[in-house]
Formats: sequence, C-alpha cells, structure tokens
Amino acid sequence: MEIIISNSSGVPIYEQIKEQIKVKIVSNELQAGELLPSIRTLAKDLRCSVITTKNAYEELVKDGYVRNVPSKGFYVAEVNKEVAHEEQLNKIEGLLDSAVTIAKMNNISKKTMNEMLDILYEEEK
Amino acid sequence: MENILEVKNLSKKYTGFELKNISFELPKGMIMGFIGENGAGKTTTIKAILDIIKNYTGEIKVFGLDNRKDDKKIKEDVGVVLDDMFFPEILIPNDINSIMKDTYKNWDSNLYFKYLSDFDLPKNKQIKTFSKGMRKKLEIATALSHHPKLLILDEPTSGLDPIARNEVIDIFQDFIQNEECSILLSSHITTDLEHIADYITFINNGEILLQKTCDELLGKYGIVKCTESEFKKMDKSDFIKYRKTKYEYEVLVENKKEFSKKYGNNTIDKITLEDLMVLMIKGVK
Amino acid sequence: MLGLIKKDLLMIKSNLKILVILLFVYGFMTYQGEMSLLFVLPFMSVMIMISTFSYDTYNKWDAYVCSLPDGRKNSVRAKYLATILLIIATTIIITILSVVISYIQTKVIDFENIFSTIFGAVFATALLQSFMYPSIYKFGVEKARIGIFIVVFGGAIICGIISQFVDFKPLLQALDILENYWMIIFPLAIIVILYLSYKISGCIYKKKEY
Repeated sequence: MEIIISNSSGVPIYEQIKEQIKVKIVSNELQAGELLPSIRTLAKDLRCSVITTKNAYEELVKDGYVRNVPSKGFYVAEVNKEVAHEEQLNKIEGLLDSAVTIAKMNNISKKTMNEMLDILYEEEK
Repeated sequence: MENILEVKNLSKKYTGFELKNISFELPKGMIMGFIGENGAGKTTTIKAILDIIKNYTGEIKVFGLDNRKDDKKIKEDVGVVLDDMFFPEILIPNDINSIMKDTYKNWDSNLYFKYLSDFDLPKNKQIKTFSKGMRKKLEIATALSHHPKLLILDEPTSGLDPIARNEVIDIFQDFIQNEECSILLSSHITTDLEHIADYITFINNGEILLQKTCDELLGKYGIVKCTESEFKKMDKSDFIKYRKTKYEYEVLVENKKEFSKKYGNNTIDKITLEDLMVLMIKGVK
Repeated sequence: MLGLIKKDLLMIKSNLKILVILLFVYGFMTYQGEMSLLFVLPFMSVMIMISTFSYDTYNKWDAYVCSLPDGRKNSVRAKYLATILLIIATTIIITILSVVISYIQTKVIDFENIFSTIFGAVFATALLQSFMYPSIYKFGVEKARIGIFIVVFGGAIICGIISQFVDFKPLLQALDILENYWMIIFPLAIIVILYLSYKISGCIYKKKEY
C-alpha cells in the first residue's frame, strides 16, 4: 500500500492518511475485508506519531470505510460505493463552488471557466 | 488509557531557578517530547522522576508506583539516557556488559552486542576514545538492553549526525511497537520530535507553557504573517503571541482555520515546533 | 550490587599495567635497600581508589548510578567493598613479596617483623581511606584531596610540636601491653573504622543531589 505524506503541504498528516486510504478503498485498490496495517506499524513506516495514525483510522471508522475489530485490527469495510461516490461529488462541488465565486468576483466568464476545465482535463490525460 | 508516568505538581527550588508545579501524564504506548530552552527545567524534571535530585515536592508515579518508595522496582524497567552522565570513560563496552549483567535482572547481553554491531561500536576500546556521537549510541544501546518498558531520554539525539539520528528514531519507533512501552524524550532538535512524538510538553522557565498532542499543535496552530495595519485590526484575544520583525509581524494563532474565517486573506503558515518555541519565548502579547 | 563492585574493579583493571610496573619497581628497590619501602604499597591502593572517584566525578557517574535499580542505595557499599577487596589483595601481594625478598636477602624469614610492618601500613591506609571517603562524598574528590593533605601534614606538625612538650612514654608503655594482641587488634580496628566511615558516607550520599 502506498501512502505519500507531505510535510510541507499544510494539510494535517492524519487527514492525508485518511484521504489516501479512502481513495484506495473507493478505487477498489483495497478490497473489503482486507486487514490494514496496525496503528503502530503504520506510524513506524510513515514515520509519524501513533496518535496521528490512530486519528486517521478512527475517522475512517467514523466515516464507515473501516471496521475496528477489537484486539484484531482494522479491516476495510463493505463500503456503499454510491455513497462514497456521492461524497466525492460533494467535495468536487464544494471546490468548484469556490472557484466560481472567485470567477464571479473577477468577472471571468463561464466560457473561460469551461475552457480551463477542458485544458485541465486534457493535461490529466 | 493507562498512564505509564504521572507527574503531579512537581516543584523544586534552587537559588536562581525554580521548578513550578510541573504536571503531566504519559499514557502507555506513546512518545512524549519535552521541549524548551536550555535551563528551562527539562533535565531537572527528568532528574526528579529518577530520584537523582531530592527535596522536591509533588507526586511522581511510574508504572503506578511511587518513584521514591518503589524506586528499585521501577528502575528495573526504566531505560535511561542522561545528558553527559554515564560510565567512567576508562571502561570499555565489554565492561558495561559484565557490570549490567549483575545490575539488571533482565539484561540481555545478546541484544546489547547486537546494538553495538548495528551501531558499529568497538567492544574493546575505552569509551574515552569514542566520538560524541559514538558515546551517545553506546548510551542508547545500554538504555535499551534490559528490555525496559519506559525510556527516559535526555537529549538522546544531540551530537548525532542526520543518518545516525534517523537510525535512532527508527529504534525508538520499534520500541513502541509494543503497546506497553512509552518514551519520554527531551530534545533541542525539534524536527525529530515533530515526526514521532505523540504529545508535546513545552517547558519554559520552570513552568509548563503548553501541553498538547503533536497533531493538534502542528495541525491547528499557525503563524500569520502580516503588515502593521493588518495587525492593528486584530483582536487581542484572537492570537497567542506576536513578534515584530523588520518587515512584518509574525502572529501565533491557536486555530488557523477559525482565524482565516474571521480575518480572511492572511497568509497563514503551517507551524513547526521550532517556530512555536521561538514565538512563545521571544514573542509578546 | 555485584555489578557496582565489578565496575570499580574493572576500572582498577584498566590501570593494571601501570600498577604491575610500579609493583616491580618497588619490589626491586626493596630488594636493593630497605624493607620499609613496602610501606608505600598500601598507600598506592588509596591512590588507586581515589582515582576511581575522580573518573566517576568526571563522567558524572553518581547521577547515572541513581538511575540503576540498586544505584543510590548500594553505590557507597560497593565502593567500600571494592576497597576492602583491594586492601586484602594488596596485603596478600606485599606479604608474599616481603617473604620472598627477605628470604633471598637473609635466608631467614622474620615473620613477626614483616607482619607488624605490613599491618601497620594497612592500618594506616584504612584509616586514611576512612577519613577520605566521607569527605569525598561530601565535598567532591578535588576538595577532599586537598583537605586531606592539609589534615595529614597539619596533624603531623601539631603532633610534632606537642611531642616536644609532652612525654609520651607512659602512653607507649601502655600500648606495649597490647603488643601480643596486635594480630587481633589491627584487623578489628580496621573493620570498626571502615564500618563507621561507611555509615557516615551512606548518610551523606543518601541526601546528595547530582
């Protein structure tokens, strides 16, 4: 499992871990029922504190992505893919919303915005 | 969560320095970083926990036992690295093994020699021929070789080069793979702590200034950099301390999210423990 | 505590080469000249022990030892036991040396003379150590070293002055009565003095902060 932590991004490390594991679960890279590395092993491998990984896992449990089986460990939960998909859509909407706000403030047309979006999509490919 | 170490209202008076009501708790399986200036009271606190200094008030419990009454029992399970205090330097690492074999019930000679070879330390040379970094490594190897449950480390990484520091930090993280084990370590090199410490206790002038989980400190706290006019608009209750430099104001805020909600477009930098220390000590309110 | 005794002995061992050389030098000098040079050896054992104190202080061992399981309580005891072991070892060595040398020189072994010399020397050594250790624990090794020199020389001078005016003969005659018992008295006195000194040192060390 690959998790890439950036110390300079300003995003709290537990959030980085949480988001990346979520993506892996949604994209089926992590299968339901799979055992995740223990809190301590993950902390050691990522060279972060135990509390950090613990927070990340706890949030994942709260959001329903991960199941905690006491004295066994953390397992990938059966995730309702639609719900997860919805969540991602919401997130995009939020980001687009702020983009649009800035655009409107600066009189940037919808056309320009669409063009930008096209370009960004092309770049991705 | 059970605490492996509890310090309650620890006070100690010296002429010219005083330790005032130090209290903190270290849960099992965690690493606590102890930061502060030289002479802030870190070593004094550690010495009190280990009963090296006397005549202090307050209560210290290690493994739930009183540190003065059950002193012997406690020390069987504590591994210690103290700043510049160690075996007389005419001894050789082999001597340390034969001394410790008859000192700790759980001394593990194999483990000790494994650390020595991992650290590339000679077994037969007098300690006085060792460099500062080698001495530190020997001290760490000695502290770990009786399978302690609690490590108390005063400046364990000082004098080590970045590679060696990395090695040592790996060893510390290995150590807490066992959930029963904890580490209290003081360090000037705050980047070491940023990575691995679960809790940060910040001590200044004999008093605890701040005590938080490292995540909370690094995640929530921030430094706002702004001009004088922007600074003047700020409510005093919205920041902890500020410092005026030649070109800008540096303002320490407790919750960068809320702050940026209230004041909008300020540049808020992510904080490092070093920034935090400098601003807390040098900054004004 | 065994570990702590070992520590002092290992420290002495690391200076062993010099000690053996010195032993030979003194042995040779004794062979050439007077028996009483062997007197010097017990005093050497004092200097050896004092040097272990110096190394301890230099590396702040006393603070470190408090972090070990039987540290503070047994540190003093270990020092005294190491001292006793060293005294016994020196006594044995110089006894053998004296016997051998005296046999080579005169073909006769004057046991009484040898033993009284050695016991006298050992007694003086133990006395010196008993005074020094508590003052080392109290004031540190540097100050104690200077202090003890002042006390010894000052004491000698004062005794010298007093002996000018007072007649010691009756006292010495009284001591003559004990002559036949010195084999018992000397060792007993050494034990009592060392024990008292150990108790005092222990009290000092218990309260000491490092």
